[in-house]
This record gives sequence, C-alpha cells and structure tokens, in this order.
Amino acid sequence: MVKKLVILKDITKTYQTGKVSYQVLKGINLEVEKGEFLAIMGASGSGKTTLLNIIGLLDKPTSGSYILDGEEVSKLSKQELAYIRNRKLGFIFQAFHLIPWATALENVLMPLLYRKEGISKKDEERAKKLLERLGLGDRIKAKPAELSGGQQQRVAIARALIGKPKLLLADEPTGNLDSKSSEEVIKIFRELNQEGITIIMVTHDPEIAKCAKRIKIIKDGNFIEK
Amino acid sequence: MRFLYIQILKDVWRELISNKVNLFFMILSLVISLTALNTIYSLGYSAKEQILNALANVQFGKDAMLILAGGGKIIGLTTTRRDTLKLGDAKEIEKLDFVKLVSPISLGTSEVSYKGNAEMIRIEGVFPNYTIATNWYPKTGRFINKNDLKRLSKVCVVGFDIPKKFGIKDPIGKKIKIRSEYFEIIGILESKPTFGHFNRNERIFIPLTTAQRRLFNKDYIDAIKILFQPGTNIDLAKYKIRQILRKRHKLYGIEPDDFRIITPDMAIKFFTSASKILTIFLLTISLISLIISGVIIMNLMYANIEEKSPIIALRVALGATSQRIIIHYLVMSLIIAFISGLIGWILSLLILKTIAYFTPLKAYFSWLTFLFSLSFAILTTIVFSLIPSVKATQVEPSILLKSL
Repeated sequence: MVKKLVILKDITKTYQTGKVSYQVLKGINLEVEKGEFLAIMGASGSGKTTLLNIIGLLDKPTSGSYILDGEEVSKLSKQELAYIRNRKLGFIFQAFHLIPWATALENVLMPLLYRKEGISKKDEERAKKLLERLGLGDRIKAKPAELSGGQQQRVAIARALIGKPKLLLADEPTGNLDSKSSEEVIKIFRELNQEGITIIMVTHDPEIAKCAKRIKIIKDGNFIEK
Repeated sequence: MRFLYIQILKDVWRELISNKVNLFFMILSLVISLTALNTIYSLGYSAKEQILNALANVQFGKDAMLILAGGGKIIGLTTTRRDTLKLGDAKEIEKLDFVKLVSPISLGTSEVSYKGNAEMIRIEGVFPNYTIATNWYPKTGRFINKNDLKRLSKVCVVGFDIPKKFGIKDPIGKKIKIRSEYFEIIGILESKPTFGHFNRNERIFIPLTTAQRRLFNKDYIDAIKILFQPGTNIDLAKYKIRQILRKRHKLYGIEPDDFRIITPDMAIKFFTSASKILTIFLLTISLISLIISGVIIMNLMYANIEEKSPIIALRVALGATSQRIIIHYLVMSLIIAFISGLIGWILSLLILKTIAYFTPLKAYFSWLTFLFSLSFAILTTIVFSLIPSVKATQVEPSILLKSL
C-alpha cells in the first residue's frame, strides 16, 4: 500500500508568451497522504490554479517530478494521462463546467462514457443514488440551465465521484456560490473526506479553507512555510 | 461494448440537436450544394443526350451526302444566290456509276388548316425514294408514288404529330388545306426522335412536282440527298459532284460554290465538337459548384467545432482520449452528411421530375454524380470537423477550459 498519494518534487511551470517567459511555479514540493483534506490558499495570480491543474494532469510541469499513487506521471503520454484522469481523479471546477445540453444524470455519467465498458444499468443506479444523496433526486432529468448554482455544483460533485476516484480536486468550488450553497458544498466535502476520499481544494476564502485538515499558502509560485 | 456505440451515438445526437439553428444551416448548405450540382449536371446531361440523339437520328448514314442550295458555311445564312440548284443537277449526278440513289427535296413553309385550325407548317416536296434516302417509312397508309409525281396529285403524307396537332381523327382519306388547295392525306410517317424547335414529326410531305408548280411556284430545289454504293471513296465522289455542279452552274475561277456539300465526316465532326463543348461546360459547372460548396461546408464545420473546443477540453479532462474525440466528431459528420445526402437526393429527384414535366428535357438522375458529390461533401465535412477537434485535443485542457 502506498501511503502517499501525491508527491511533487521541485515542480516548476513557465509560460512563454513570445519572447517573454513568466515563471508561475518556482520549485514546488508537496506530499499529500491518503485521506487528507488539503486546502491550498493564495491570492489571484499566485499560481494555485496552475498547481492544481498540474496535480490534476490537465497541465504539464516544465520541470520536476510528480508521483501520483506510486506512479511517475510527468512523462506519460496524453492517452495514459486521460486514462489516469478518468480512473483516479475527480474534478470540481469553479464554473461547474457541465455540458449544457445533457441532463443532470447524463452529466454525472459522462466520465463513464469514456471507459471501454461504457455505462451499465448499475452505473445508472449508482448515479441516481449519488444525486439523491446530494439532494437532487427529483432533478435528474433537469438541464444545467434549469438548476441553481448550488445544484449545478452538486451535479458536478456527483460527476467527480461517479468514477470512484482516489483524489478529488476542487478549484474554487464555492467561488460562484452564495454563502448557503457554499456551506452545503463544504459539508459534502467533509462527509466525503470522512468516508476516506482524499481532497485537494484551491480557494482564496479563509473561511472555506478552515474546513480542511491542512492549509498550505502559496505566494509568488512557492509555499510559505508556516 | 455494443451499448457503448449506442451511448456514443446518443451523446453525439444530443450535442447535434442542442443547436438546431446551426444544424439546420449545416444541413442546408450541404443539401443546396448536392441538389444544385446534381440538378445542373443531370439537366445538362439530359440536354446533351437528347441533342446527340436527335442528331444521330437524322440517320445521315455512312455512304451518304447532302447537297444544300446556296453557298456559305454549313450552319448559317447562305452567302450566294440559292435558286441555281435544279432537278437537272440531280439527274446528272444520278448518272455517276458510284451513285445508288438521288433524292431531291423542295422546301417551304405554308399555312396549313383543318376545320378552322391553322398553323404554319414546313412542307417538303419529295420523290418516292425519300423513304429509302432517309430511312423513314409510313406507319399507316402509303408514301408518295411515281403516279402522284406524274399527275401533280394533291396528296400528302403527314408527320406523326400532325393529326394530333390539328385534331384529325382517322386521318387517312381526310382532306387538309395547304395554302389554298386541299390535299388528301394518304399516309402517316412513323415517329422520329426529335429535339427543340425542329420537330421532324410536324412536317408534311407532298410530291415534288406538286410542291414546285402548285404551291411554291419555283423551278429550283433546296436540297439533294445522295446515297452511294457501298465502299465509295467519299472524297473522290465529293470532288466529282462538285465539278459537275460548278460546270452546270457556270462557275469559273475564283467564283465561290453556290451550293454546300455535307459529308458524313463533316456531320460527325460537328456532332462530336458539339458534344465535347457540352461535356466541358458540364464539367466546369460541376467543378465550380463543388468547390463553392466545399468552401462553405469547410467554413461551417470548422467554425462549429472550433466553438466547441472548450467542451472538447472538458471531455478530455474527464478522461476522453483523442481517439474518442475523433470518433465523436466523425460520427457527427457522418450523421450530418447522411441526413443531407438523403434530403439532397429526394430534392434533386423532385426538381428533376418537375422540370421534366414542364419542359422537353428528360429527368436523368446520375447516381455516379450523386455519389461522387456526396462523397466529396462527406470528405469535406469529415476533414474540416476533424482538424479543429484534433487541434483541440493537442492543447493542454487547462488552457481551453478557461474559456468554458
């Protein structure tokens, strides 16, 4: 059993715009154990979303090594990365990112469509149960536009969970929500964490960050040691 | 696995109908291009076929020659006097040993009436051997004979469409008025394929002598059809006949011919060049419409998929491989092409049938052209939906997700 789920060593990320290069991450070192609930805080432009994208395999680091669940992933091909994202990771975005023409249920099932096996009846039942648990049992046929922000984010959480991921990544999950909906989302996160799911959340809101077990603050591309 | 394809198809279909206006315009552009191309090609082809058919059915024959009164180009106005070709010329030519048959023709247009219906009809004064010379025989009744010719009989043989045109029931034995004289109908010719304004089935044939003396009041003839013995050297025959005619017409030195000699190879040359021009014309139009439609489809597809690149990025983030994205948009292009192809096919057939109903053109639907244009449309659709979608999968998803 690998105890450490995420190991980042000297991760840097440089963006090149024409002749001007801009280093966003300057040698990040981070270890996340299984069952952790980590909040990464920082001002806008501090590099926290870039870091989360690298952890979530949506972006490649310029240099450094990244071991996810015991496997070095910084040199993998696009196909292999897609496979890992689908099986091991769950994403929750600030703007929910639901597919507008699909129903809540179809959105939740979307990640399973990219597996060789496709979607089974069992999967559908599981998706319905997930939506029920998140308080959307009566809205499974609703399109995203017919749902409130909080409801959309709960659909997105169900979509992130449907593939039974090892790691849940949330990028400002409450950024577009009112305080009541934010509380609900955080409550769900805590429950999920208690059930053993590892969560890494990026936020700039200290109140939200407080709910995590551990807080890391990023500034100018590196962590500030507390 | 089996269900996976149905699930993919459902996913694609949901995405397609999510933007019905866009889908409508994509299908519309494909349908218009397919329909336009196929209709233009089919009509052009059918026109060409019918022109060539009509020309071929003149039955000019391999060992034949036509002499027309008046000098000048084959087609067009004559540039000399045209009253010099006489029956005596025909008789002189008939004496040549390689000539099998000579059939003189006197032409004119007269008012023809029957029970109050009056029309201007082309009248041909001919010899009895006209049937052999043109390979055109009566369907009912008989043709003009030697006695009719001798007696200047007021009899006529009518083209196949004449009874219908004038509403004559049981035409044989009925009298029809040509100018101021009554002519008895003694025969109806079999129907000949025909094109446009020159409907050969709307002519009336009378004895040559009757035509010259009773109707047109002229002593010259307008044409001579000549058949040769098999194996005759046409060039030599043409040379000899020309010498005879020039001598008889007293043409010397640089004076131009006051007649035109049309030989089979001249006719063939004229037909094939006409056919070639039509083919080039058709190909050019087809090519232009293909290119135009290609550019339109290209733009629509490209813009449509490029707009979707954040969604593609989302799918990639959720674990879709580039193969799956390619399959997704391949299926989408095929659905669009299939629907458009079906509508385009039905629409072209409808338009063709409608045009065929109102014009003399036949509805000729070319499957080859249709399949060719359809595969071109499918290919353009596929290529220009795959380029932007593959491009979207190459970018790190995090970048494209920002714009979602």
